Amino acid sequence: MIEVTGLAKRYGDFTAVRDLSFTVGPGEVLGLVGPNGAGKTSTLRCLAGIIPATAGTVRIGGNDLATDPVAAKRTLAFFPDEPRLFDYLTVRQHLNFVARVYGVAHHEALAQPLLEELEIADKADELPGALSRGMKQKLAIACGLLHGPKVMFFDEPLTGLDPLGIRRMKDSILKRARDGAAIVLSSHLLHLLEEVCSHVLILKKGGKIAAGTIAEVAARFSQGEADVNLEEIFIRATGGSEN
Amino acid sequence: MLSALLYLRLTSLRNWVRQRVLRLKQPKYLAGAIVGAAYLWFFFLGPAASGGGARRKAAAQAAGGVWPQAGGALPGHVTGVALAIGALVLLVVVVLAWVLSQERASLGFSEAEIAFLFPAPVTRQALVHFRLVDAQLRSLIGALFLTLVSSRWAFASGSPVIRALGWWLILTAFNLHLAGVRFTLTRLADAGLGTWRRRTLVLGLLAAVLAATWAWLPETQRAPVFDGTREGGRVLAEWATALLGTAPLGWVVQPAKWLLGPFFAADLRAFLVALGPALLVLGVHYVWVVRSVVSFEEGSIERAEKHAARVAAVRSGRGAFHDPAAKGRPGPFLLPGTGRPELAFLWKNLLSTWSWLNVRVWAGGAVVIVAAGWWARSHPAWQQGLAALAAMPLVLIGYVIVAGPQFARQDIRQDLPNADILKTYPLAGWQIVLGEMLTPVTILTGVIWLLLLAAAVTFDPAAIKLPSLGRELFAPGTRAVLLAAAALLTPPLVALQLLVPNAAALVFPTWFQATRQRGGGGVDILGQRLIFFGAQLLTMLLVLLPAALAVAGAVFVVRLAGGPLALGVWLGAGGALTILLGELWAGLLFLGRRFEQFDLSSELRP
Repeated sequence: MIEVTGLAKRYGDFTAVRDLSFTVGPGEVLGLVGPNGAGKTSTLRCLAGIIPATAGTVRIGGNDLATDPVAAKRTLAFFPDEPRLFDYLTVRQHLNFVARVYGVAHHEALAQPLLEELEIADKADELPGALSRGMKQKLAIACGLLHGPKVMFFDEPLTGLDPLGIRRMKDSILKRARDGAAIVLSSHLLHLLEEVCSHVLILKKGGKIAAGTIAEVAARFSQGEADVNLEEIFIRATGGSEN
Repeated sequence: MLSALLYLRLTSLRNWVRQRVLRLKQPKYLAGAIVGAAYLWFFFLGPAASGGGARRKAAAQAAGGVWPQAGGALPGHVTGVALAIGALVLLVVVVLAWVLSQERASLGFSEAEIAFLFPAPVTRQALVHFRLVDAQLRSLIGALFLTLVSSRWAFASGSPVIRALGWWLILTAFNLHLAGVRFTLTRLADAGLGTWRRRTLVLGLLAAVLAATWAWLPETQRAPVFDGTREGGRVLAEWATALLGTAPLGWVVQPAKWLLGPFFAADLRAFLVALGPALLVLGVHYVWVVRSVVSFEEGSIERAEKHAARVAAVRSGRGAFHDPAAKGRPGPFLLPGTGRPELAFLWKNLLSTWSWLNVRVWAGGAVVIVAAGWWARSHPAWQQGLAALAAMPLVLIGYVIVAGPQFARQDIRQDLPNADILKTYPLAGWQIVLGEMLTPVTILTGVIWLLLLAAAVTFDPAAIKLPSLGRELFAPGTRAVLLAAAALLTPPLVALQLLVPNAAALVFPTWFQATRQRGGGGVDILGQRLIFFGAQLLTMLLVLLPAALAVAGAVFVVRLAGGPLALGVWLGAGGALTILLGELWAGLLFLGRRFEQFDLSSELRP
């Protein structure tokens, strides 16, 4: 579903991501972890087609993101850490707008259950200015899910959510994965990754340190100890520093 | 308390200047500073320093440039008219303040001042004085700016010092009046006077004053008389002066006239004479404000938050009119889930404009223009006034084409902060750029079409002497063709005009970001805006040249073949339309590719 080969991103002389290759299949949830400045957000943005990769190829649902971006983007959804909404569109109008952009016929029938699932149906006629941070996040998610994406990218999905919101977000991600979506999420919250992700990719200074299922990566860094959690694995893998 | 204020202001000013000087190391600010400084020098400071303003005024008077008047002093009736018009403007502003104001009592503190001063051990009176003194410093800066702007006004005082002091008095009184209005209205609201009752009361009082004044006027002066012996504008001005000089309206505007007196003073002696009444007006305002102080803390906090939200909105590209308290409203039209995706952007961006920008208001405007033109044509006394207005729509069309894109910004410039989301949409870059531009194109085209209609309604070929070609050009049939051709060419022309600032946002994002700063502006930012404006004019000239040649060529060939002028205009318009659409398409493809390659993370930094 997601195939990344030799991905690199440079800003002038600075290399944010170097020679990254991995695949994420249907039903898999890949957690991107790494210290600050490891290249997680740059990687996610390259995968979602927001910024052009300097080198390498990204294929989404079999479509090359560089040569056929429109077909590739039809199947994906990107959820930024900070919800980006239009100030003058109500909740329902956001969904109406997104439906037209993605060509979703009969979107009303899809939008209502989505709003109810995310518990913002009673805010359908409110502008973003009247919504709490968590509700804005839910609206951004509803917009992303409306066209039924098969590939999803989440950048720090739990930022600003209350405990109940965190629980629901985790359930929602797992539900989409069970339904066959390929998901990549980046977060500093390692317990989230432990609960949600089937695979993990540890980055440091733009390069891959470790990748595989959580059990595989744990086995590599556990040094024979039992029940080593992801936090300990992360610290051992990254050497306990950003540099 | 005042020493703290002085420390705050002087330190802030020093740091502001230091920051501006340091950033001149960057070429974009240095180039802007050079252009901005040159503009200020050549257009304002230079002429003022060399006495050009006084020379121009003297020349204007000698030539009867304002209105014929012999003698070296400023023409008395000109000053009288200007004074009356100024007083009328002040009256309108004051009435609007009393009618529209909905805020509770507040003073213009910033969020930082509220955080530091409100919990500090100072009295409410001290806070009021802090704010009033601070307002004087701001008024002084405003007065200096307006002194430069008004240096070419022939009816104002010739001395820059007198003009500056005049402006300072006006701005100070205005600030005091607004504070007094807010305090008084809060008291009245607390006493049970509702907003609509207050508005009815104020407008009723004004209507009563106007009615009494009109009744008081001699019958011959109750309406302007366009008898053909004098300019229409002069007739209107003299009528307004007579109206404003008659009681009771004359009494109402008298304080405004006293306040404006120093600004119009011809020399030092006249200034000193006019200063007394003006200071009296100021003093009365000061006493009114200080005595009517009510609790202003909540209002000030709310105002500061709104101001901060507006500044944040401008900096994030959401426009100066962003209203955090706005309510949702129905979409401008039905938007099904399938169809051209570009229309989704038109639908979305129309929602970001004022609700009254809609087809109903546009159609109503067209009906009013046609009805007013028809009515004026059937009243000979107003026909001359109508002819005097004929050129105005054409001038305004030019202004809308050139300056419109700076105001109608509901396009990629407004959505640049959302570019990361836009880039995930399954659309080609040109589709996003085109979709984003549809709203300003629609708005500006609607305005220009209304102005074309106004030009058609007011234009009277009998009022001007025409050579033979002109007579044919303005024959009814050719005029209709000209009007239709102009209407047809308007959308692509406006779209091309809008391509330039959108290209600036995408091709020079860091420059574009810099020009959007608010509160952080200076000569360098002024210069950057001028550079953009100059580039826009130059680009427009280049893209319009082929279209203009097409029109000229078609008209020439048709005339050569002995055909009617209207046919030449039609053929020329068709050629011009093809060229403009071709240029537009090429521009959209270029910008679309640019948007697809746009690297937000490395480019979208102020």
